[in-house]
Amino acid sequence: MELVKNIFIKLGSLDRRIIFLLVGLSVLLPLLKPAWFALPIRPKQHSQIVFNEINKLESGNRVLLSFEYGPSTMPEIHPMSIALLNHLFVKDIKVYAVALWPDGDFMSTDAFAEVADDYGKKYGIDYVNLGYKIGGEAVIKNIASDILSLYPTDIKGKSIENIPMMKEVNNVEDFDFVFSLSAGYPGSKEWVQYATDPKGIPMSTGCTSIQVTDIVPYVENGQIRGILAGMPGAAEYEELVKTELKSRGLVIKSGEATSMMSAQSMAHVVIVIFIILGNITYYLTRNNKRKGS
Amino acid sequence: MSAEIFGSWIVVFLTLCILSYLFDDNPFYKAAEYLFIGVSAGYAAAMAFWKQIQPNLFGRLWPKLETNGEVSVLQSIWYKVYEVFNFINTGFGTLDRSVFPEGGIKGHEEIRMIYVIPFILGIFMLLRLVPKVGWLARWAIAYIVGMTAGLRFYSFLNSDILMQIQSAAIDFTAGWGSIINAIILFIGTMTGLIYFFFSKEHKGSFGTLSKIGIYFLMIKFGASFGFAVMGRISLLIGRFNELKNYSTAEFNYATPIILVFIIISLAIWSFMDGGNKNESTA
Repeated sequence: MELVKNIFIKLGSLDRRIIFLLVGLSVLLPLLKPAWFALPIRPKQHSQIVFNEINKLESGNRVLLSFEYGPSTMPEIHPMSIALLNHLFVKDIKVYAVALWPDGDFMSTDAFAEVADDYGKKYGIDYVNLGYKIGGEAVIKNIASDILSLYPTDIKGKSIENIPMMKEVNNVEDFDFVFSLSAGYPGSKEWVQYATDPKGIPMSTGCTSIQVTDIVPYVENGQIRGILAGMPGAAEYEELVKTELKSRGLVIKSGEATSMMSAQSMAHVVIVIFIILGNITYYLTRNNKRKGS
Repeated sequence: MSAEIFGSWIVVFLTLCILSYLFDDNPFYKAAEYLFIGVSAGYAAAMAFWKQIQPNLFGRLWPKLETNGEVSVLQSIWYKVYEVFNFINTGFGTLDRSVFPEGGIKGHEEIRMIYVIPFILGIFMLLRLVPKVGWLARWAIAYIVGMTAGLRFYSFLNSDILMQIQSAAIDFTAGWGSIINAIILFIGTMTGLIYFFFSKEHKGSFGTLSKIGIYFLMIKFGASFGFAVMGRISLLIGRFNELKNYSTAEFNYATPIILVFIIISLAIWSFMDGGNKNESTA
């Protein structure tokens, strides 16, 4: 028994670099050998709500898509953007993109480039990218009241007057749905406060894991309809969209989030083991100190 | 070497520089960190100028007007000011036009003189760099603080207070599961608020309720911590995935080559730096 105790106490003083290495390996191995660690993905309630809300939209409806993330949070949010655009385009929904973060422009451009051609979608008719504007909530407030005065040109500098699908919108009330792809401030919270709550427009969000606990109160209250929570949320949504496309006779390969979920799960297992070991060591050393005193 | 391969080598090098912090604070990490901050700040400033200030501020003050040759005297004077700004902006006529195009900025149809106020307030902000008149920046800051407070007051009151209070109410017509869930949430909300009520000493039954509030807060912090870990791991996976993709012959084995280079460099640096530390201790 004493030997086991000593082992645990020694584990407690393990060099942090060894822990980093083990966490690193737990991430790397599933990426190198995905077949060894493949786990099933089952959509949870909140992801299902998001899917159902988008699925309820009809052909020709207008969705405002806000890109509030950059390369640093790309692994979590970008797979959501890709899956969402697949879902919207297959249903012939018109997509209007804006960015509240400077690097959101790169993300939106990349996402459209990856998906639009697969569905034969034309810029200016089926989708438009209005680009980034500085100002945070002031931009959202402006979109809620007068989008045309805020965006005289699109992301490419083309006059809004020459974009056919922009003739149908004046403010946020002209959209059937708002979707916020958010990694922080300004993001989903500000959309709720300044646009969708005051104007009564339905909204969903896909956000980083770290934001989930702050956004969930709005979801529980119905102010936001469902939430895609971090990488697991993205993987669940990818699965739902894949099934939907399959039912329409379209086959797409598994999304990026789905392929990375094994690494996520393995890393969590390693971290949980270290947390348990750390707690056991803490209690043992505390007891030893008490006995000593 | 194509631009894509060159880009991939830079991506791999900077990623490994940042990850090298796990070993220790080192010159590779510092160089990447400073580069990241500088590039981010520069990019954000350039985007803010070209996406908002140029089209929406200057564009409203000096729009390209369709006048059919008829221009009033005041308009003519106003556009002379525009030309003065252009003269300064082009390095006194030595560079090509960029910020102030010929005849005005496209996008708006009429001059909006009200935008002179934000223009002046913006200049006041910059005057902070001149100590003698730096106090003028307070006017601009006062406007921003006042406007933001006013803007946020209503939205917070509506979305975060009133609607959240409404959701904390228990609907006794719902199913048993929902009622129990709502009761737990109600107790959590009330006891959490009691914990932050400092006008009464936390003793007796009030202290007990406050203690229950702490447990609810701890559960919230635990959930936040769990999600934070999950988020950080997701980002790590993203970086590793990219490193894996760039480790192939297609990218001239960028990852393994740069990894070996950084490990050797860090080993040498660590040995030399260790020597310096020993010297300074002695």
